[in-house]
Amino acid sequence: MKRKLAALEKLDADLPALQHKIRNDPPSYRDDFVNQYSQYQSLYELFEASPTTTDDTGIVRLRDLVDFVSHVADCYPTLTKAFPGQLIRLLELHHATLEAELRDKLVGSLVLLRRKEVIDSQILLNVLWPLLISTPSKSLRALLFQKILSDLRTSNNKTTNHKLNRSVQTTCYNLIASNPASPKGLWAVKLTRELWKRQVWTDGKAVSIMEAAALCQDAKVVTGGVRFFLGGDQEREEAADDDSEAEDTVDVRKLKHQAGINKKSSKRNKEVRDATKKVKRQEKKKNAPHPLNFSALHLLHDPQGFAEKLFQQHLQPAQPKVKLNLDQKLLVLNLVSRLVGLHKLTLISLYSYFLKYLSPRQPSVTSFLASLAQATHSLVPPDALEPLVQKIANEFVSEAAASEVASAGLNGIREVCVRQPLAMNETLLQDLVQYRKSKDKGVQMAARGLLSLYRDVGAEMLKKRDRGRDAALKLRAQNTQEGGIEAARRFGQVDEGGIEGLDLLEKWKEEQGLDEDEDEAKGWENWDAESDDSESSGGWINVESEGEDIDVSDSEDEKERKKDVEKAKKQKLPEAKDDEKENVDDAETTSRATASLEPEAAVKREEQRISKLATTRILTPADLTKLKELQQSAAITANLPSAKRRKLAVQAAAANAARHADDAVTASDIAGLAKLSAGKATKEERVALARGVRDGVEAEKNDHRSTTARRKEKKASEGKSTTNKEKARKKNFMMTLGKAKRKGKRSLVEQRGILKAHVERGKRGGRKGNKYVGATIVNLGQEGWVGGWYIKPS
Amino acid sequence: MSKITVAGVRTNVQELLKYSNEEKKRNFLETVELQIGLKNYDPQRDKRFSGTVKLPRVPRPNMSICILGDQHDIDRAKHGGVDAMSSEDLKKLNKNKKLIKKLARKYDAFVASDSLIKQIPRLLGPGLSKAGKFPTPVSHNEDLGAKITEVKSTIKFQLKKVLCMGVAVGNVDMSEEELIGNIMLSINYLVSLLKKGWQNVGSLTIKASMSPPKRLY
Repeated sequence: MKRKLAALEKLDADLPALQHKIRNDPPSYRDDFVNQYSQYQSLYELFEASPTTTDDTGIVRLRDLVDFVSHVADCYPTLTKAFPGQLIRLLELHHATLEAELRDKLVGSLVLLRRKEVIDSQILLNVLWPLLISTPSKSLRALLFQKILSDLRTSNNKTTNHKLNRSVQTTCYNLIASNPASPKGLWAVKLTRELWKRQVWTDGKAVSIMEAAALCQDAKVVTGGVRFFLGGDQEREEAADDDSEAEDTVDVRKLKHQAGINKKSSKRNKEVRDATKKVKRQEKKKNAPHPLNFSALHLLHDPQGFAEKLFQQHLQPAQPKVKLNLDQKLLVLNLVSRLVGLHKLTLISLYSYFLKYLSPRQPSVTSFLASLAQATHSLVPPDALEPLVQKIANEFVSEAAASEVASAGLNGIREVCVRQPLAMNETLLQDLVQYRKSKDKGVQMAARGLLSLYRDVGAEMLKKRDRGRDAALKLRAQNTQEGGIEAARRFGQVDEGGIEGLDLLEKWKEEQGLDEDEDEAKGWENWDAESDDSESSGGWINVESEGEDIDVSDSEDEKERKKDVEKAKKQKLPEAKDDEKENVDDAETTSRATASLEPEAAVKREEQRISKLATTRILTPADLTKLKELQQSAAITANLPSAKRRKLAVQAAAANAARHADDAVTASDIAGLAKLSAGKATKEERVALARGVRDGVEAEKNDHRSTTARRKEKKASEGKSTTNKEKARKKNFMMTLGKAKRKGKRSLVEQRGILKAHVERGKRGGRKGNKYVGATIVNLGQEGWVGGWYIKPS
Repeated sequence: MSKITVAGVRTNVQELLKYSNEEKKRNFLETVELQIGLKNYDPQRDKRFSGTVKLPRVPRPNMSICILGDQHDIDRAKHGGVDAMSSEDLKKLNKNKKLIKKLARKYDAFVASDSLIKQIPRLLGPGLSKAGKFPTPVSHNEDLGAKITEVKSTIKFQLKKVLCMGVAVGNVDMSEEELIGNIMLSINYLVSLLKKGWQNVGSLTIKASMSPPKRLY
């Protein structure tokens, strides 16, 4: 009896066991729970009365009980109504003096209660957030931050919890805005950045928190905010990429194969099923449209005001409220210039600010140059930029300057002029272009870049011999067209967009030999037929197939046409004839500019024609692809002279397409090919090379093996073995010698036997004879001479 | 809707014109707008596009235009009956943000003479470019009237913070052919701007100021 009682007591004391039992059947263990809960109550009251004098065992007991109660609180909601409130009270009042383990347990229990939905996120965050900001303990801060973050993520998991987000964002904003000088705002910055990265917060409100942070008066908070704008989006992108890559680990084929071989069991079946399901889910996810995410820079409410404030607060004053060091200043400057360039803001005082920093002796001057380039856009008045360009040219680009300096200067000037070509004057340009004859490769390339830029945007500013063929031809055409007045670019001019390559498409259609009406009718026919075939839009989107369809039908036409070209020409309307004449001219622009024969009329007719196609037809997907194709081929044929030039042109076009005004300019862009001009490697580089570091990847130490050897090792490490052929090739020559010698000395009888055996073997299907006797045998079985012997198939 | 046909556009335009001109004639000139919804478009990866294109016909003839110019241009403007301001008038605004904003709101577009336009950012600050109404340059030997028509017939596609946009492409006074021409050109231009062409287009709708919308695509 006594023993039984003792056992029972022990069982009672064993809280995890009790917890387990309560989980299974709450009503029947209610008394036990009440028992424990009252114990907890008394301990809690004791602790409340004198928090400092409670001894160790009491604290341990309290901790266990808190843990126990919080685990089963959801089973007895009425009994434990006061429980969360008590925990919160303990934490709020005594968090500084509490024993660390008990404190962490209290935080953990609160989060647990939130998970069991005893309390809601709002309450939890209202407790944790003030604690995070006020507590002096580092470990508690780390814990709290992690808990807050995970709670926000889980509550936004299925659907965005707008209410919660809004309230947390408001607290974050208030934290920064209420006291701009305190470093506590860093927590708001950290939280926002993390949630932005995870795509939990993607709206303008999060951006406005960061905006407030960037305009703060604490250096750390400011840099946090600025860094967010400069790198937050990239971080988000990378995080998204990582997520999608990390999941690609299941090999369904392998699993299926194993399931086919190994013993069948329900577990294995389930594994295969789960794997296929997972792969399907991944596929679906991959094909899902990318979530809509605007970059933080675009979500700013008032970019002009923000840029102005940033500039006036952190950069302009000689004695700013916040002391920023050079790196931090550069960050702010980078952001301001990024904003100016991206949103085409007007911030004229920014440009004169640069003047002070543009000298080769200035530390990290390339970053300043990059910022200047970023801050330039087509609406910046050229007279604000001209002194800057002049200064760069004077300070950086001279025969005496070091080659790195000169190339950085030239690159900087080019980047500015790409964005605002009017910033350059004629004499300076002609002077700078001379540097393409420089002996240093980096300077040479930089000067050439500038030259090719102005060939495009302002050939008339270059000397005649520097213009190059294309630019000169274009210039002449322009002059004859407009009477030589308005060839130059003008400030504020917006380039009028047309559909690029539309004329090419038109020409192509004409060459395909379809009259416009006929062509259109055919196009619609084709289209309708296809729509009948496939109800979904898939057929329509599938561009290639449609293109082929058209091609096929047209090529037949073409054949017919080729037979009697004359006839077709006669059939055409006189107007069309004129057009064709122009086409021929266009094709051979090399000889003469089109402008030479009645230019204005030709241009007008051309315009009419273009507008006719664009205004009467809708460009189908097939048309669009053809258009792109034609554009590319035209670009290539224009630069035919050498294969190298063609390749270069394609590369340049690709690079240009990849670049965009939205992109940032980095210091490395400006430094450009300084590597080329550097010539000798530094000592560190040489050491690294000797150690086998190539392109940043460190190979094994002293790896002097050949590429083949390394490749082979790679293959072996991937688990691939050698083929028979490879083995034969690698076989020691001395070992093969005997056989080779013997082969020449065979007697005729032996030779016959061998050949016969060979044929026999073929019939059997190889040495093992387990192959299906197929095509090889038929070939071998043919009558004919093999190795000097006439073989007759049996 | 899977595809767009010329015939479909034509019937829609006909219905639209009929509604606005016959069924419910309003007391003002209704503008026809093309509304575009994009899809599968990631504003961060695909970069945001913007472009201007000149339509064959002026979509909004009642657009108000202001000339900012030197004496010569002001005289020409007066001759043509267009509002004009000199640099002195602009200086009087004194960079006052509210006045500049008011000026920007008063007119739909601005044209400035070559000599003056370089000073506009200094004189007026960011007000005009913020409103997307930075002036178009005009030189003395260009025909002012032609320039104004050019400005009036130029439309701008620009993506803001959402994936849909609307542009005015015509009015209900235009003939069917003219309206179709304008609509087609805008659609074609838009599609040529988009990276993936038609795959990026979610919907195309035309709508007069007070008519029900007609879906084209």
